[in-house]
This record gives sequence, C-alpha cells and structure tokens, in this order.
Amino acid sequence: MSDLSNAEIAQELNRVFAEEVEAATRYLHLRSAVRGLDRLVVEGVLKEAFEETIRHAEVIAQKIRSLGQVPQLEISVSCPAEPLSGREALRQALTFEEAAVECYQDLLRRVEGNIPLEEFVRAQIALEFEHIALLKELLTE
Amino acid sequence: METWKEFDQNIISHSAAHHLMALDDLVRRYGYARVSDIARQLNITRGSVSISLKPMKEAGLIIQDENRHLRLSEKAQRLVDAIKTKRMLIRRLFSDLLGVDVAQAEIDACKIEHLVSNASARQLVTFFRFIDAQEQPARDFLARWRAFDRACDQDPASCPTCASECIGENVADTPREGDTRE
Repeated sequence: MSDLSNAEIAQELNRVFAEEVEAATRYLHLRSAVRGLDRLVVEGVLKEAFEETIRHAEVIAQKIRSLGQVPQLEISVSCPAEPLSGREALRQALTFEEAAVECYQDLLRRVEGNIPLEEFVRAQIALEFEHIALLKELLTE
Repeated sequence: METWKEFDQNIISHSAAHHLMALDDLVRRYGYARVSDIARQLNITRGSVSISLKPMKEAGLIIQDENRHLRLSEKAQRLVDAIKTKRMLIRRLFSDLLGVDVAQAEIDACKIEHLVSNASARQLVTFFRFIDAQEQPARDFLARWRAFDRACDQDPASCPTCASECIGENVADTPREGDTRE
C-alpha cells in the first residue's frame, strides 16, 4: 500500500494537473498557429483535444479536492509566434501528450497499493494512450 | 548585424542553457537523466521539457538512448562547460570584486552567462589570474578599490566617468522624483 499522505498524493496530482493545463494551453495556441489548408484538416482535432484536456484537468482538480486539498498550479508556457503546418502541430501535440502519459505512469508507480487511486490513474493513462494513438494515426505517412 | 539583434541569433537561449545545465548536473550526480528528472530539477512540466528538448535533440546537442536516458553531445558538453565557467567568472567579478550582494550576483550571472562571448570570458580569466597571483600590484589594486569612497558628490561636468549627467543616478536603487521609467 502506498504510504503517501493525502498532501503528498495531492502534490503528485498537482504535477499532472499542471501537465494537463499546460497541454490545454498549448492546444489552444496550436489551433491558432496552424496556417493554410492544413487548418481545415487539424483544427477540429486540436479543438477536441483542447476540450478533452481541459476535462482531464478538471477531473484531476476534483481528485485533489476529494483528498481535502486545494489544487496548486505552477506552469510556465512559452509558445512562439511562428506559423505551423498541420503536421508540425500534431507532432508537437504528440510530444507533450507522450510527456503527460509518462507523468501519469510515474504517478502510478508512486501510488502503487492505493487501489482506488491506482484505478483512477490507470483509466487516465488509457485515455491518454487513446490521444496518442489518434495523433500517431494522423501522422502516419 | 546590430548587436541587440544578436541576442536572437545566440546559439542557445536562456531556457535552453538551463535545460542543458540541469541535464549535465543530473548526469554528474546520478549517472543518468530522464525528461522527468529535468522537469523536477527545473520545477516545470514534462511537457515543457519535452518541447524544449526537441530542437536540441534535432540540433545534435542532446542524445537519447533506447532507455530514454538523456546525455549531452560533445558539442553540448563544451557549451555547458563554457556557460558554467562564465557564470562562475561573472558571479566572482560581481560579488568578490565589485561587492555586489552574493544572491544578486548569482541572479545577474544567471541572466547573462550564456550571452557573454568566450573572448570576454578569457579576458576575465586573465584578470583573475592577475588578482590571484597575489603580487604587489594586484594587492595594491584590490586594497585601493576596497578603500575607495563609494559616495560621489562630484559635478558630472567635471567627473571623469560621467558626461552631461550622472550615470550613477541612472542606476540608483530608488527612482528619481518624477521618474516614470520602469
């Protein structure tokens, strides 16, 4: 059983909370940065990903609250004012989605033995993998 | 090229310099480093680290093995060694010699360490060799500098350092009356 206190678990959850909020911010920017006809192709995907990522962040925040803690958010996002192709936007999305899933996997190791939390994290990992699979499919030549 | 534009042409940004130095520090301490380790060290998200590392991997500065362990390339190692040296030199110049508060010297060194040229850094090394040699001219120089009266009541017109206005006042801690500059 994980011997982390609720405050320590919340601290770990704050990390994934930050990953999700930051990813949502990046999706928001990517949607605006894609130029040309690509925009027609990927805008819907990026919009959907943005909304789903925000939902994930809300779920994490709720989980932190259920531990009797208040979510803490520390992010630092810098998105350059450079136009992107649809493919480049999807590549960037894949980069931070893979980072997010690794963060969840780290969390899973930290909370090993805490079955409800483990199950919650596993479910989140499954959702993240769906995101990644979609992005990889779209990036296939 | 105008000098201020060169900031954008610098081989690595301030952020990139910190990522490289964090990686170097972690590898020295633990023998390996992953994205998660750098994220914790810099207190930022993995997403940020991954996004930042991507161009550095493409530029051949960072190498990732099959276990996702990261290391610096030889080129990156040289860059990191140079930046660390410059940080130490600038911090020492500001703190030990000029008498700037240690914490402030560290902050200032951090801000410019990656922007200073190797040529200027080499001159700083030479200067510290002069100081550290402890020969009489260096001891006299330090003694006179430390005893120098920091207060200044000279008329700028007759001051050898200033021209039409007191440049010391331009960098005073408290803004002058009516001064709206940030």
